[in-house]
Amino acid sequence: MLKELDPILHSQLRLAIVSLLVGVKEAEFTYLKEQTNATAGNLSVQIQKLKEVGYIEIEKKFKDNYPQTICKITKVGIKAFEDYVEIIQNYLKPKK
Amino acid sequence: MKTTAENELSENMMPEESLQIINAMINTAKNKLADDGFHLIFWGWLVTFCALIHYVTIKLNIQGGEWVWMLMPLGGIVSGIYGYKQGKSQKVKTHIDSYIGYVWIGFIISLFVTLFFGYAHGIKATYFFLMLLYGMATFVTGGILNFKPLIYGSLFSFAFAVVSVFVGEVDQLLCIAAALILSYIIPGHMLRSKYKSQQHA
Repeated sequence: MLKELDPILHSQLRLAIVSLLVGVKEAEFTYLKEQTNATAGNLSVQIQKLKEVGYIEIEKKFKDNYPQTICKITKVGIKAFEDYVEIIQNYLKPKK
Repeated sequence: MKTTAENELSENMMPEESLQIINAMINTAKNKLADDGFHLIFWGWLVTFCALIHYVTIKLNIQGGEWVWMLMPLGGIVSGIYGYKQGKSQKVKTHIDSYIGYVWIGFIISLFVTLFFGYAHGIKATYFFLMLLYGMATFVTGGILNFKPLIYGSLFSFAFAVVSVFVGEVDQLLCIAAALILSYIIPGHMLRSKYKSQQHA
């Protein structure tokens, strides 16, 4: 029934990451970690997956000698998110 | 949140669950007030102070009162350092942060153009345009933040710009002070207290 749902987004943590990034310009890894309550390891794996499919961009910087990872959603990611929401909405519409 | 392995299994997630996640995550960034009011309060007090000192020195026939405006570049440095530090400590940058940034960069450019080139039309015209700029920047910022006191406060800058046309150069300094108290200082303090109460919530 929900076969057409994007498997990349149809996962709790990846969906949470993309939903957070859709609303902001960019966010640090630590912010995503705080908001999703995920472990650093799990979060790393999931953002890497999102990067591989081109849904997000990752920029590595240094802030006060500490590595800093900044994530940003791409146009492809926004499109995928919109499509995903549309399918969910259609599914939830009352059936005739 | 689930572990990596659990995530792989979560394809059975129900659509209602998906919507809940989307809603929860989108709302975290949406209702956050993006501005702590520092720059409004700082510049509001600084410029009001300079305008009043300048006014008093003229009234008391004290020479060189206009030198008080030399505090402006110093204020620029303080404001710049604060903004830089604030930007560095920010973990998330919202679109609102970026829009407000553009408004104030536009404001600073207009301010410099007015100060350096508007002078050709006399100090009276310069003061008039400065107040229009104060009003414009605070009005747009208030709109972006959806913060009514700043929107209403900004209207006083427009009003005092009009009033300043009908008074002399010296009294225009009082118009500037009044415009800043009502458009910057009061809404700035209100914004700051709202921001702080949100931080503690």
